Amino acid sequence: MQALHAIPWIVLFLPLFAAAGIALFTLKDRELSAKVSIGAVVIGFILTVIFIAASGWEPQRRELIVTWLEVGDLQVDFGLRLDALSLMMLLIVTGVGGAIHVYSYGYMHEDRSVARYFASLSLFTFSMLGIVLSNNLLQMFIFWELVGVSSYLLIGFWYEKPSAADACKKAFLTNRLGDFGFMLGILTVWSLLGSLNFSVLQDELFKNPAALGACATAAGLLIFCGAMGKSAQFPLHVWLPDAMEGPTPVSALIHAATMVAAGVYMLCRVFFLLSVPGSHALEVIGWIGGFTALLAALMAVQQNDIKRILAYSTLSQLGYMVLAVGVHAPTAAMFHLTTHAFFKAMLFLGAGSVIHALHHEQDIWQMGGLKKKLPVTHWTFLVGTLALCGVPPFSGFFSKDAILAAAVEHSVGLFVLAVAVSGLTTFYMFRLYYVAFLGGARTDAASHAHESPPVMVWPLRVLAVPSALAGFWGIEALFSGALGDGHGVQNLPFLEQLFAPINHAPLAALGGLIAVVFGFAFAREFYQNAALDPLPQRLGALARGMKNRFYFDEIYDFLIALTQEALARFAQFVDRWIIAGLLVRGAHGTTELFGRALRLVQTGNLQTYTFLFVLGVALLLIFVIGNGH
Amino acid sequence: MSLLTYIIGCPLLAGIFLLFVPANFRWASRLVALAATAVSMLLSVVLFLRFETGVAGYQFVQKVSWVAGLKISYHVGVDGVNLGLILMGAIVAFAAACVSWDIDRRQKEFYTLLLFMTGGILGAFASLDLFFFYFFHEFALVPTFIMIGVWGRGEQRNYATYQITLYLSLGALIALIGLIALYLQLPVDARTFDLVAITKHFKAYPMAVRAQTLIFPLLMFGFGILVSLWPFHTWAPLGYGAAPTATAMLHAGVLKKFGLYGLIRVALPLLPDGAVEWLNLLALLCLGNILYCGLVAMRQKNLNLLIGNSSVAHMGFVFLGIASLNLIGVTGAVLVMVAHGFLAALTFALSGYLYSQTRTLEIDELGGLLRPLPFIGSALVMAMMAGCGLPGFANFAGEAMVLFGAWKVYQTVTVLACWGALIIGAVYMLRAIRNILHGPLAEKHAALADAGWWRRVPFVLLLAALLIFGCFPGLLTRKITPSVAALLKPATKAVAAQTAEAPTAALAVRAR
Repeated sequence: MQALHAIPWIVLFLPLFAAAGIALFTLKDRELSAKVSIGAVVIGFILTVIFIAASGWEPQRRELIVTWLEVGDLQVDFGLRLDALSLMMLLIVTGVGGAIHVYSYGYMHEDRSVARYFASLSLFTFSMLGIVLSNNLLQMFIFWELVGVSSYLLIGFWYEKPSAADACKKAFLTNRLGDFGFMLGILTVWSLLGSLNFSVLQDELFKNPAALGACATAAGLLIFCGAMGKSAQFPLHVWLPDAMEGPTPVSALIHAATMVAAGVYMLCRVFFLLSVPGSHALEVIGWIGGFTALLAALMAVQQNDIKRILAYSTLSQLGYMVLAVGVHAPTAAMFHLTTHAFFKAMLFLGAGSVIHALHHEQDIWQMGGLKKKLPVTHWTFLVGTLALCGVPPFSGFFSKDAILAAAVEHSVGLFVLAVAVSGLTTFYMFRLYYVAFLGGARTDAASHAHESPPVMVWPLRVLAVPSALAGFWGIEALFSGALGDGHGVQNLPFLEQLFAPINHAPLAALGGLIAVVFGFAFAREFYQNAALDPLPQRLGALARGMKNRFYFDEIYDFLIALTQEALARFAQFVDRWIIAGLLVRGAHGTTELFGRALRLVQTGNLQTYTFLFVLGVALLLIFVIGNGH
Repeated sequence: MSLLTYIIGCPLLAGIFLLFVPANFRWASRLVALAATAVSMLLSVVLFLRFETGVAGYQFVQKVSWVAGLKISYHVGVDGVNLGLILMGAIVAFAAACVSWDIDRRQKEFYTLLLFMTGGILGAFASLDLFFFYFFHEFALVPTFIMIGVWGRGEQRNYATYQITLYLSLGALIALIGLIALYLQLPVDARTFDLVAITKHFKAYPMAVRAQTLIFPLLMFGFGILVSLWPFHTWAPLGYGAAPTATAMLHAGVLKKFGLYGLIRVALPLLPDGAVEWLNLLALLCLGNILYCGLVAMRQKNLNLLIGNSSVAHMGFVFLGIASLNLIGVTGAVLVMVAHGFLAALTFALSGYLYSQTRTLEIDELGGLLRPLPFIGSALVMAMMAGCGLPGFANFAGEAMVLFGAWKVYQTVTVLACWGALIIGAVYMLRAIRNILHGPLAEKHAALADAGWWRRVPFVLLLAALLIFGCFPGLLTRKITPSVAALLKPATKAVAAQTAEAPTAALAVRAR
């Protein structure tokens, strides 16, 4: 039993040791570094499977705790929380992450800094596992920050490229903005409830739901700020598309299975805190999620870079998950997070395979006819597209339907929004599919493309299986049990499961399907064998807005220049001219002036001294005698 | 003899020894300095390991009477508060001796001053006698001025020396007036310089509240100036920009902490009512450090000025922790002091290395240096990340505790401090990385040499210290907490007394 409890610790720390080992010892050895890093995550996956097989999804000991810091009434544990929620995430991070590690071995083979790449990748995996396993808010914050910095290292991997160097800085700072709120949220919760531990907090709120008092909404929203940063929700969504500057496997890792999922995972972990009676946090969260989903889907429609389309699609799907949390359905959110991790990782890796085959060409209008040249990439990409659009019986259909069904119950507005986004999703994904994979090759590179090596193709095949079938594996029921919501979801046999959505909430299922059909029809109409994008002409200014991300970056730059930068300039001015200049140099100058004035008196001339002396005596005499009268 | 005496004595004796070594034995002076600081460092590690955790009193005490009539004695000892500082000071001193390889003239004089400075700093932290406490500080301060003046760099060197000398002397003078006033509050027959005895006396017979409220600001501003309390901070970036690397490391890292240490060791326990009265102001002034100096750092175009301003900004967290006047906040403040000592030393050492290679620290002229300098570049990235509060480095643990402690007392201030810690700090640190290490490499810098194995020692040492105390802050906090609790006891009473009065005042306001 003791050995069993060591397993989660090993799973957590293996990648850290791998990262440290590579950084300290094997930086020169490319092969060995890659193997160490891949080995760490794959062993982690196997150990996780063993642990779940041995102790089940709900182990008897739910927490393994070591005290990290204890001062007065501030106690911070370093603990591992083990339940279905964290164990499932553990599987996703090590499993999908493992596939991406293997794929990276092929994709990054030519790069001169392979060792640094794998060290960062392992550090990232460690940080993400830390978030997943955290049993308290501050520990989560710690790993939250570590994910921030390791994503910084990965996005800026090609740091000599100015665009990559800017992108990693932007990602880190935008995340920090969210963390600012998160930290304040942690402080609020700690000062009101006296603990940081999730289960203690949950018990506390269960006993006294009004313990947060008037701060309930504020505390919930402050913590949500953290998720807003990591999961790139409006208005902090701007970092994610830029983060495509990193190598493509990195995009697959941080934009599918891990980093961006952290925000949603955290919301589900602290759902008990968000849903206390009297808190309006969930309403705000739901609408922010919905708005992000719509905004990002609109932006995706007019992107031409294959990775950017997927990036905006990630944003949009994250909006979906956050929306699900907002409509009191954390189970649906986690379910969609899981399926999305599979198919989005696969789509990114597929895009990487395309980019690799076309010698770093990313513009879809420079592609075309890749169906025949890259057969495996093509069919896996198609599976991913169908899953993302929510076509039955692919996994995305079930998870998206769960969200739509929850939305119907809570808010008609959000439901309509979600259906519209579903239509847009199908439209932009098939736009991508038609332009890049069908039709004729538009360039030489596209007509001479070759399928990627097996080390890159196999991860695609492996990920295609859960992307297609994960809807039938009872994942939703598992989360439902762990989170205690989800409307009595059960694990059903294949055929029943296939039709369960329609039986359960026909309006939601039909709405989603109709949206898919419309989206597909429009995409086929506009882009089958299209030589040019017809939308800019038809939509005019709207299309320009979509293409330019509705000018958010420009607006933010303007606002930052107007506020923080202006303040900094002002402070610098005061420091230089008023404090250092006027006051310090002023005091210095005045002293010096006095000194010079006094120096004039010391002439060294004996006559002058005598004269002054006599003058003084005379004045004194006049004064004394004058007063005498 | 106490281990502490060896730790302090080693660099001092070595310094005196160096005076008799002929100046043309250049390597001898460097070797002596390295050996003496290394011994001091190893002994302080032994001290740290042998320190009994969880006990409040002083350990490794040694007391030798010096001027019996005035009751001045050589009295040293450590508790949780100065233990970490002595360890940090000794490690930084060794690192500073290591990085001084680029001093190319008057080596003997340089290393002598370095050793005196080291001995003075460690002595100031270890002394439990007010006379030696002050004397050792001044003894360390004088070499600072000389080193900046003689071995400094840049056009503003003379002005910087001038300013730092005046400012620090002024601060020390104000603090001295405060200390003398404090001494005079003792009844004539109980007059002593022994801090332990003074503390005991004032615990039994607290000083009049009026006297406390008059003396506390003298100490607060006197010590505050020594720590670059806003708005008395302009000497710091300028001085560090002009100072030779080792001096900047020792002063910004170690000597500067003397003022903070004085506040915690002398002002808080002896003047609790004064503290309650004045610390609200300190909490406001610390925002000047955190926000204002952070913003100023954002605009700097020279790496050393940026680091200097950021170092001033970090002092704000210590002030905030002290101002919170509770166990979490003050323990956090002590932790930040230790962490920042390592960090400041590390960043100045790195910028010194860059300067020795590129001969400039103007950020616009640098760029892409991570490629030719993988080790130094990575170390700089880590230092910058530690500086913007990345978990895993000791600064995070300390700053987080300060925020937790301060949140109980000053919520608005804490929100703004959080902004400073998480956003402003990150902005200037990442900008520096972006402009110095990332981006395309200028051709003239393509042939820069990365640090060889021996040159890496000081950097590795400082990084390791930051990481160890960052990952296991309990190593320090378990030692700090009991001592801080004992020091805070009078102040806690004073706070309780004040809050007992406060409800009536609040009611009066509401009634109006």
